[in-house]
This record gives sequence, C-alpha cells and structure tokens, in this order.
Amino acid sequence: MKDFFRNNGLLILIIAVLLAAITAVASYAFQGMPSPLGNVLGVVTTPVRNGISSLAGWVEGVYNYSFRYDELQAENERLKAEIAELEAAAREGEADSQENERLRELLGLRQKRRELEYESAKVTARSSTNWSSTLTLSKGSDQGVAAGNCVVDAAGNLVGIIDAVGVNWSTMITVVDANLEMGAFLSRTESIAILEGDFTLMAEGKLKLTYLPENTELITGDLVLTSSMGGNYPSDLVVGSIESIHTDASGISRYAIVQPTADLDSLVQVFIIKSFDIVE
Amino acid sequence: MTRQDFILKWLFYALALLPVWWLDLYVFNRLPVFGVSPRLLPVAAITVAVLEGTVGGAGFGLAVGILCDAVYYGTWGGMTLGLCLLGWGAGAAAKYVLRRNFGGCLLCAAAGLSLLALFHVVSGLFTGLAPLYPLLRVAVPELLYSLCTLCLLYPWFSWIYRRVPKPVGL
Repeated sequence: MKDFFRNNGLLILIIAVLLAAITAVASYAFQGMPSPLGNVLGVVTTPVRNGISSLAGWVEGVYNYSFRYDELQAENERLKAEIAELEAAAREGEADSQENERLRELLGLRQKRRELEYESAKVTARSSTNWSSTLTLSKGSDQGVAAGNCVVDAAGNLVGIIDAVGVNWSTMITVVDANLEMGAFLSRTESIAILEGDFTLMAEGKLKLTYLPENTELITGDLVLTSSMGGNYPSDLVVGSIESIHTDASGISRYAIVQPTADLDSLVQVFIIKSFDIVE
Repeated sequence: MTRQDFILKWLFYALALLPVWWLDLYVFNRLPVFGVSPRLLPVAAITVAVLEGTVGGAGFGLAVGILCDAVYYGTWGGMTLGLCLLGWGAGAAAKYVLRRNFGGCLLCAAAGLSLLALFHVVSGLFTGLAPLYPLLRVAVPELLYSLCTLCLLYPWFSWIYRRVPKPVGL
C-alpha cells in the first residue's frame, strides 16, 4: 500500500494539502486581498480582459447599429424628450435650492453636502460559478480602490460592493450575491431595514429586505435606498424597488423581495465610489 | 522520456487549457441552461487525469486547482486540494478499473463532479447558505451541464494526448 502511494504521486498530494492549507489560512487572514498568485494572474490577464471587453462592446455596437437601428432611433427621441423635461425640472430645483440655502443661513443650520469621489471602471469578467454573483473590474489599488467601496452604474444605482482588490483589478460582489448584507432606507415611509442577499433569489437576480419596520404599510414599487447607518456606505444610492411582500414560515416577521434597479446582466461601465462626504 | 519532453508535454497541456479557461470565463457563463453555467476546469482536470494516469492527473489537477483558487471567488484553497485528489482518483480509476476512453472518462467525470456538487451542497447547508432544495436545484443542473461539456473537452485533450511525447513503452 505504501509503495502504491509512493509510486502514484504521494508527494503531489502532500504538496496539494500544504498549498490548500496555506491558501485557506491566507484567505482568512487577509480578507479583502487576493492571494499573491491571484494578484499576479489578475495583473497579467487584466489587459487581455480589457481587450476582450472592448471587443465585445464594439461587436455589440455594430450589431445594434445593424439590426436595432430603428429601435435605437426611437429610444434616442424618447430620451431627448426626457432630457428636456429634466432640464425644466432642474431649473425649478435650482430656484428651490437657492431658497433653501437662504433659509438655512437664516436658521443657522449646517449646509447639506454630498460629495462622492468616483473612479470609472470596466467590467472585464463575470462570475463563472453558480454559487456567487461577482464581477471583475478593471481598476484596483493603484487607482485608490479599496475593499468595501460601493459600485454604481451610470445612473447612480448601486451595483455591488468591492470585495477583493488587486493591483490593477478588483472583484465586487453584486447586490444579489448571497453574502451581501447592508442597511437600507425606505424612502416613502422613511424607515430603515436590512438588505440581504439570498441564494434562492440570486438566480432570479433579486434580493431580500428583512427586519421590516412594524406598523409600516409597504407597497409594491417602494424605492429602497442605501442607509448611512454605520457610516460604511454612502446614503441614498438606489438599490431597487419592492416587488412583493411576504410573511416568513414562522408567521411572525415579514420580508420583501427587492428587484434591483441596475441591470446586472448588461453592465459594461461602472463607477466605484472611492470616498464620500455626506452631511444630511 | 527526457526532461525536455516532459516539459514540452505539460507545456502543451497548459496551452490547451487556455482556450478552455477562456470558454469558461467568457462564453459558457453567458450561455446558462436552467439558470446555471457549466464548470469546465474540473472536467478538464479529470479528462487529462484519465489520459495521463495517477501522477500526471494529480499534478495537472493540482495546477488547475491552484488556477481555480487564484481566479475564482471564495474557494479558500479547496479547489487546489479537491482537483488534485480528483485528478489522482480519476487517474487511478482509469489505470486500474476503467478503460482510457470516452466512457471511462464520462464515469470519472460523473463521479468527480458529483463529489464537487456534494461538497457544495454540504458546505452550503453547513454555512446556512440555503436549504437543501435550492442548493440541489443549482448543483444537479450544474453537474449535468458540466458533463455535457465532456463532448467538447474529451476530443480536445485526446487530440493533445496523441501529439505530446510519451514514456517509452506506451
């Protein structure tokens, strides 16, 4: 038996056990950082991934131009009309802001402030396992990205949280990943709850809202935002809207299913919030 | 087999793994069936193990496992050990029990992927990730879809196997 193992790669098996143990300990000890080999692989493959991502974007652009020209033209017209409406609303908002500023000065209140520092990044790869929902981004610690940074899409909707940072790349868990847990703010009822990723809902691209406030009537379509509780994440980033409200198996507490606003399947460009300074 | 032949052989296998990795990363995860995408790298490790035997299988499994742990999220070193053991087991099974053909490879892949699925389900239950049924709803289609990719991977690695240097007498 001893000879059997000796002749059949015992040494390789011992090396595998040692390497697996080292990787497990290093992963536990340095959470938020990739393994040295993972970092090197990320550094080497990031330019290739960027190239593939750009090529895929170009092909999609050509396809859209060739086969969806009419659809895109109609969308363009609709967006132009929407911009005109928003410009009108912004002009009204400007006047309201000035009035608000004057009143704040009169009452001696602190100036409201919302400063977010963004770093734009490309999505270079998507998770290739069915057990997590992650995206690999083209920016890393060289660009000031850190674990725990929020990632939003072009419209400012929350996409996920940075989990591991390499030199020129990073991995983020999306809002539907089973490991996600963060505070939430319900804008209509002005109440707080907890957003949780759920493995069962992950495949459907949805997440769970738990610890719902008692005596608050939530309705389908209620907007769910990030909360400033704990100060880890910037507040008021749109996560999604309530799709349905349920009572759990015990019949005691309620939870809601949230449909994220960001389209996680077709993301190409995202923005990492490197730092924020918000005064409510 | 000279040292140069040995290096050349595993270099060919490493190069052959690159398109498989690319397919895994960019193609198959965009082609889900029943909501899941297949796992190509474990299938690749088992296929090479069936063709190359215990030592080669364990070595290649170790290398593919290290790659998986480096690029996949949340594996915590498990793939390094897991794929090395699967490679070793598949190599031993092909050497002593099964034939080194597509049928033998299919059986080894089915057994290996079942073990991986079992590990995922048990660890999912243990960590409270989800109840049994949702875990099985991912694990079983993933296993079947991954097995289907053997139709691509077995001919590919067999083609490589026929062209790489072999020890004298084989």
